[in-house]
Amino acid sequence: MGATAAQIRPPSTRYAGGRAIRRRLGDFLGWGLSALAFVFLGSCMVWILVVVFHRGASALTPLILTHITEGYGGGLLNAIEGTGVLALGSLLLAVPPGLAAGIYLAEFDFGFLAPIIRFLVDVLVGLPSIVIGYFGYVAMVVYFGWGFSVAAGSIALAIILLPYICRTSEMAIRQVPHTLREAAYALGAGDARVSLNIVVPAALPGILTGVLLAFAISVGETAPLLYTAGWSNYLWTGRLTKEPIGYLTYAIWAFITEPFETAHALAYAAALFVTFFVLVISLFSRMLLDRNARWRRES
Amino acid sequence: MSLLRKMLTAPKGRSARLGRVFALVLAAGLAIGAGNGWAAGTVNILETGSSLLYPLFQLWVPVYTRANPNVRITPQSTGSGTGISQAVAGLVQIGASDAYMSNALMKMHPDVLNIPLAISMQMVNYNLPGLNKIHLKMSGPVLAGIYSGKIRYWDDAEIKGLNPGVNLPHQQIIPVHRTDGSGDTFIFTQYLSFSTPSWSNEINYGTTVSWPAVPGGIGAEGNPGMVTATKDNPYSIAYIGTSFEDAIVRDGLGIALLKNRNGNFLLPSAKTADAAAAVMVPKTPKDERISLIFAPGAESYPIINYEYALVKRDQPSQEMAAALRKFFTWAISRTGGNAPHFMEAVHFVPLPAPVVKLSEAQIAQIQ
Amino acid sequence: MKSLPRAPIRLWSALLNFRRLTALLGCLVAGVLLAIVGFLAIYAWPAVRLNGPGFLYKNTWSLGFLYRSPITVHGQTVLRGAHYGILFLIVGTLLSTLIALLIAVPVGVGSAMFLAEGVPPAMQTWFSFFVELLAAIPSVVYGLWGYVVVIPFLGHHVFPFMVKWLGFIPFFGGAAGSGYGLLTSGFVLSLMIVPLIAATLRDALVSQQAELREAAVALGASRFEALRTVLLPATRRVLIGSSILATGRALGETMAVLMVSGNAVNFLPNNIYTTISTMASFIVSQLDSALTDPTGMAVRSLAEVALVLCLISIIVNGLARVLLYYEGRQNARIV
Repeated sequence: MGATAAQIRPPSTRYAGGRAIRRRLGDFLGWGLSALAFVFLGSCMVWILVVVFHRGASALTPLILTHITEGYGGGLLNAIEGTGVLALGSLLLAVPPGLAAGIYLAEFDFGFLAPIIRFLVDVLVGLPSIVIGYFGYVAMVVYFGWGFSVAAGSIALAIILLPYICRTSEMAIRQVPHTLREAAYALGAGDARVSLNIVVPAALPGILTGVLLAFAISVGETAPLLYTAGWSNYLWTGRLTKEPIGYLTYAIWAFITEPFETAHALAYAAALFVTFFVLVISLFSRMLLDRNARWRRES
Repeated sequence: MSLLRKMLTAPKGRSARLGRVFALVLAAGLAIGAGNGWAAGTVNILETGSSLLYPLFQLWVPVYTRANPNVRITPQSTGSGTGISQAVAGLVQIGASDAYMSNALMKMHPDVLNIPLAISMQMVNYNLPGLNKIHLKMSGPVLAGIYSGKIRYWDDAEIKGLNPGVNLPHQQIIPVHRTDGSGDTFIFTQYLSFSTPSWSNEINYGTTVSWPAVPGGIGAEGNPGMVTATKDNPYSIAYIGTSFEDAIVRDGLGIALLKNRNGNFLLPSAKTADAAAAVMVPKTPKDERISLIFAPGAESYPIINYEYALVKRDQPSQEMAAALRKFFTWAISRTGGNAPHFMEAVHFVPLPAPVVKLSEAQIAQIQ
Repeated sequence: MKSLPRAPIRLWSALLNFRRLTALLGCLVAGVLLAIVGFLAIYAWPAVRLNGPGFLYKNTWSLGFLYRSPITVHGQTVLRGAHYGILFLIVGTLLSTLIALLIAVPVGVGSAMFLAEGVPPAMQTWFSFFVELLAAIPSVVYGLWGYVVVIPFLGHHVFPFMVKWLGFIPFFGGAAGSGYGLLTSGFVLSLMIVPLIAATLRDALVSQQAELREAAVALGASRFEALRTVLLPATRRVLIGSSILATGRALGETMAVLMVSGNAVNFLPNNIYTTISTMASFIVSQLDSALTDPTGMAVRSLAEVALVLCLISIIVNGLARVLLYYEGRQNARIV
């Protein structure tokens, strides 16, 4: 549609004189400014990436991937493992209820309940992550006595992921054509069968995109973990409570302010891992969406 | 990976695929958990708190755990406030603090021991381009004036009065203070309180105090943050633990001469710390909670303190109690953690013999 | 008779069918929000009573004399000299968000226009994706970048220059500071929220009916004029909604602000280079010191900070959602 508009030559250009020049100048200025805005964003993006990847790459050693943190140096194996454990743990906790809530909002959206839930979930997305971290610390770490632990960290993270998974699943499920459901119901399938066997599989790429994005968020979060997961120099021994666990974003935050080069190297390497991982997931999920959209158009 | 690919590339899939994704995630999680195993008989000791004591723990831990492979110690540099709060909450086994616990806190948590592990000092540092090689003279009242915003410029008459002949610039002073709960704040504000009545009345001392509003003043996290903030901000002044002296020297920052109770200006050194400790050690009570700040004596450096380990008297298991007793006994011994090569590396002073006795008596109470 | 043993199962399935199960889990997800707010409110209640309304307009955060014995005020044990007023936090939070919006809205609108109309359609997706990646970068990486690169750059090269040449504008003059502070926080925040505005607005612009654009062009407008005078006004409510959403994001941002704001306590900024603290970053930096207060009042006051932050963000987000629902974009981006 943009093309059709572009093909029509604006009649105004046929007129000569000051007004036309002023209008053309306005056009030029307008496009220039909007392009400038984009270039500004793009260059900041490149700036961040260059800083992270350049400094991160020069900090990379084989040691970082194979050793645990020792003092101001060593490796990041403990943090890499911890980030993985916390991310998977929080996904395990958040995906089932999040997906179920998404199904409810998309499939059974009648009555008064669904709009209320949707509104609350949307507000939950905007809840500052540190508030959730604070809640986790006072409630789980201190009151329940779990200490800094995988359990407390995963639950705090899961609370953050829940609304994302819920809303992205809802949106994906809503895209599934109604005819599919009608056909299934007509064949005598019940709610559960229609949702789980027909609708969810059809919406799977969209749902997975949401889960992937949630995964990226869980890898990049810091604030909710500072007071729930703690930090550990060692590998996880498998205990869910009373044992803190390391994670990459902590290494970025804590080690960059230490006045030692080895500590800075750890922070840069951690930033490289986290950024690289998050970008790859974003790229991957975008490709997944595109492929799905193309498949939909073609079929 | 190929399984994942297959699942993702087939949008027509059925619900079994979703189940498989979960199975995959679950399996990965379990594999990670099982990979490390539940190491049998290993004691996990968590230490958190004082960023001043942290460098010493970083030196201790590799040496100690190599000799005692069944003990794992995770030290964390968070600040003495964290050390105190997490030790009393039972979140960590060892809370490290430059400050002893207050009477009110002791009343609430009478089962927490305050065990000195070493004696440290605090420096007053500054970043005055061109003048960092000169040791400026500073006194409690002048520092109190700077931190309360009454003395705003480096060429203020009061600073000039202490440092005649030094060409001080007309630049605004940037006082740097700790934002986290900090034993360094505790001992620094004790020095100001003990030497300056107005500071004592208005602000007093604590691991966190209500810093007067000084425009341009900066808050920093931990001793490392203090070093970095001072280095990055010309015309700043800061209070930093002596275990960061090497970093201060490396970054070319200035170290001030501090005025002690007898009116002499002294640099932090093993000699001046020993002199102050010699006066204060005999006064140390059984529970070892005492301030060593502003000690009398001609050669006594005014800001020295015990570095405390806060430990619960009653431990959940015999193994943990035994491991803690063993570690602390090693830490305070002259042949173990208080050995000269450890102490010199962080510019600490070993515990004098009478204090070692007191500490040993406290360590024996850990059950 | 044969069916009798199966009756309990049927009863069970009648009570909890699939629909009800998903509804229950939906309520669980939504209930998390209510649980957190409720918990904070109950936990903070003693502090709310002690601090009174002065909490919001007084300017001292002081735990009091930690090493003296506590006293009793209004039936509650508190430390001598304890005062809890968070005006400086509210001001710091609102001002840094305002600066972020002042940068992000024009930049967001500009890039949305460029992405929707100024880029060849084949490349649109990837150009937009590039901007959206800014939203994917974790907060702490922004903090790292801000701390390592932006602060020295702004503090040494830009701020002194700005003081010299723009000093006549109110709040642009005075001490240039060290690079930490209000403007730096606002700048970093603006980059974090701009993708939200740009992406939502671009989607709205692209999905406008072709007739609108064609009619405008037929009336003699150039493409830019059609965009500026017809399409952009038609998406006004989306812009407002997404900007409010972005405001909510900026208000609650923690790590990046923590690393670049300077964490000032107890004073109000007197120019845009002054160090500040925000509510979210204050909770991180003060929780541990608060826990050393033997009376527990400091932790409860911090819970009150969290509660205030929570309520502000709920109001802001609720407002944005209502606006976006009204516009029929209830499926607007949430990421």
